[in-house]
Amino acid sequence: MNRAMFAAASGMAAQQTQLEIVADNLANADVAGFKGAAATFADVRAGTLGLGTIAVGKHAVFAQGKLVRSGGAFDVAIDGPGFFVVERGGARAYTRNGEFARESDGTLRNSAGWALSGVRIPADALAARVERDGRVVIDTPAVKGRVIAQMRLASFAAPEALRPLGATLFAATEASGRARLFAPGKHDGPAIAFGMLERSNVSIVEAMMQILGAQRAYEANAKGVQAADEMLRIANNLHRG
Amino acid sequence: MASAMRAARAQLEIATQNLANASTDGFRKALARVALTEGGLAVSERQSYEQGAVRTTGRRFDLALLGEGAFRVGEGLTREGAFARDRDGFLVDDRGRRLHGTRGVLRVSEDARIEPEGTVREGGRVVDRIPLPHGTRILAGALETSTVNPIGETLAILTAQRAFETAQKTLLAIDASREKAANDVARVQ
Repeated sequence: MNRAMFAAASGMAAQQTQLEIVADNLANADVAGFKGAAATFADVRAGTLGLGTIAVGKHAVFAQGKLVRSGGAFDVAIDGPGFFVVERGGARAYTRNGEFARESDGTLRNSAGWALSGVRIPADALAARVERDGRVVIDTPAVKGRVIAQMRLASFAAPEALRPLGATLFAATEASGRARLFAPGKHDGPAIAFGMLERSNVSIVEAMMQILGAQRAYEANAKGVQAADEMLRIANNLHRG
Repeated sequence: MASAMRAARAQLEIATQNLANASTDGFRKALARVALTEGGLAVSERQSYEQGAVRTTGRRFDLALLGEGAFRVGEGLTREGAFARDRDGFLVDDRGRRLHGTRGVLRVSEDARIEPEGTVREGGRVVDRIPLPHGTRILAGALETSTVNPIGETLAILTAQRAFETAQKTLLAIDASREKAANDVARVQ
């Protein structure tokens, strides 16, 4: 009975993990550049004895989100794989959230203060845009269409091993490998979409289905714990005083 | 009757093990078979070979098996096909085990594609093959979900619980009648 009880309890724990991850996905469904996560479970066995289940991993799913036209003056999105390189206080991180704003010092920063690496808009720029191939072009009163920088994207040998720093920010790890910088816009490679944002890749409908499934499975596992408990009680009552 | 109680316990253990793995991709439920033997009721367990439903995941090295067979990972076999390419090019599952092809451990480039017949292609070049039984196909970017049906397992739990209760009641009745036989029937007036 104890084995049954622990197996059922491990099932409840697994469903709770699943629910936490789906809830986090749902909470960030409106965050630009957010990548949903998924959990993997494995069954635990000792020979022929079933000992329940265990969560073995959680990883971000880097599937492309839809690109939508946005109102922001410096919004950019990546059409294809890769990450923006951002910096703050000497630290470097990687993101697919391209919601940037121009600061007084000319840098393009996101809401958390991370600046797009290698790009500084001069004070006399009237307008700035980013081309498909990552060239940053400005118009000044004197010259139109001056190229001031080349934006580079980062790719990783194993992007799923990146360490999340926040909802949309990642840091390189030993397992992910070093960032390899490349210029976008090559024939079949990723390109920059200026004035667009990448929506999160979380499907609300799928998340709702997952929540319903997790909830029912949790209840069913709880029934298993109850049944094991009830049977133990019955066994204890076998001996009538 | 004690064997009936043991059988009910074994059925409960199988049902809870199944239920616990309702979200384990590639998991195949165990079926309980109850048989009447000379020693009373005995429960044996066998694996169901039902195909699980397939859900798409958007990860390129998630592999779902359509049909029989299993992936070879390290020393073991699994139907859970959630692989990711590590920085050295190995396809590893979440327990860190490496996927094998026909020529041992598989090592691929980032743009490798797994085709339905199991062929591993890099660009136009075939680099290896994942061995599959005849008729089985691989769907990349998808996972086979658990074949456990929570409703069926909940029913199995209730059935086991009731069987246990019945056995207990019967045991008590037998005990009561023996008590009568021992204490009342043979009473000398």
